Amino acid sequence: MAEKLLITLVTPEKEVVVDPEVDQVNIPGIDGDMGILPNHAPLFTTMRAGRFSYEKGDEVVELVVSSGYAEVTENRVTVLAESAEFLHEIDHDRAEAARVAAEKLLQKADLEGEAFKEAQDKLFRALARLETKKSD
Amino acid sequence: MPNLRDVKQRIRSVKNTEQMTKAMKLVSASKLRKAQRAIQTARPYAHKMRDVMNHLVARCHKDLHPLLDHREGNRVLLVVITADRGLCGGFNSNIVKMAQQLITENVDRDISLFIAGKKGMDFFQNRPYRIEDKYLGWTKDFEYLKAVEIGEMLAQLFIEKKTDRIYLVYNEFKSIIQQEVIREQLLPIVPEEVGSDLTDYIFEPDEETILADLLKRYMTTQIYRAFLESSASEHGARMTAMDAASRNAKEMIGELTLFYNRTRQAHITKELIEIVNGAEALKG
Repeated sequence: MAEKLLITLVTPEKEVVVDPEVDQVNIPGIDGDMGILPNHAPLFTTMRAGRFSYEKGDEVVELVVSSGYAEVTENRVTVLAESAEFLHEIDHDRAEAARVAAEKLLQKADLEGEAFKEAQDKLFRALARLETKKSD
Repeated sequence: MPNLRDVKQRIRSVKNTEQMTKAMKLVSASKLRKAQRAIQTARPYAHKMRDVMNHLVARCHKDLHPLLDHREGNRVLLVVITADRGLCGGFNSNIVKMAQQLITENVDRDISLFIAGKKGMDFFQNRPYRIEDKYLGWTKDFEYLKAVEIGEMLAQLFIEKKTDRIYLVYNEFKSIIQQEVIREQLLPIVPEEVGSDLTDYIFEPDEETILADLLKRYMTTQIYRAFLESSASEHGARMTAMDAASRNAKEMIGELTLFYNRTRQAHITKELIEIVNGAEALKG
């Protein structure tokens, strides 16, 4: 395969992935996961918390991102994520604790609007981490 | 002959000043390290965000969001970011000068100001400028949430058509010894030139939702970055200024000490001559 994808992943804290050439990128889109191959049509999507990965030959690099945006233009993928962690950086126990805490928070009946959404996001983030870790 | 005690006192006072400037330099150095790290991590995200935004805006329908409204109108809001404290060389005066220059160059426009930082306020409040709002004491504990707040406020002003254009004026951190005053258009967003290549994007979920969401975040990111740039620049400028001050103080102490010693020597010589002369006179 001659054509490659160039990807960049940045978060407000740091540049996580800078310009490796890869064969495929998998993005957790808001309406479902997407696999991006070279020569993909221009695309702009909102991301949900979930598993983000890219493939380079046989090598697969996996990360967990929490919400953000991804843009695909002319074989260049730009990802703006709220946060991103490599799989090996994820601590299972901590993610589990976060999940329990988020569930507890959600069970409170008086949660409304923004607070509810925030708690929900927290749960999704924790679940995304756990799931990705499990499939490892 | 100059009074020796006065010279001594002078030396002592310069020494005190030197100690102070040295301490300030050290404090600035450590604050600078922190601020520098903050700006270096925030920059890539902000720049990517701007790229993406530009791509998007160039390809979107301009009437999809009120923040993209390029309307005719001559009301301009300048967001001027200065420091709360002085003693940092030309840092504050450079920014103020730039703002003033912009105002005098554009007399045909109706310019109002949003001032961040006490030093800017000190300058502008006693002059005939219209100050829309101010944000003082920000340098102590600036955080992301504050940028969100300012972003919302500015967006509100723009959407309610109280202003037609918003610029950020701030010091960009080039290196520890170098800052550059930057003027940047914040709103409406300037689309990148794309020529005829208007490829249609696939949007998920849809253009409008993405734009609304992204615009908000874009504003915050740019404002946040501008403040961080300014903060790092300020500490850099103060460090350089205090370093120069310490050096000058040292030089001055050297000169004064030399002068003190010479004078003392002259005193002694004079006294010796007097004694010798007195003895001669008695002998005779």
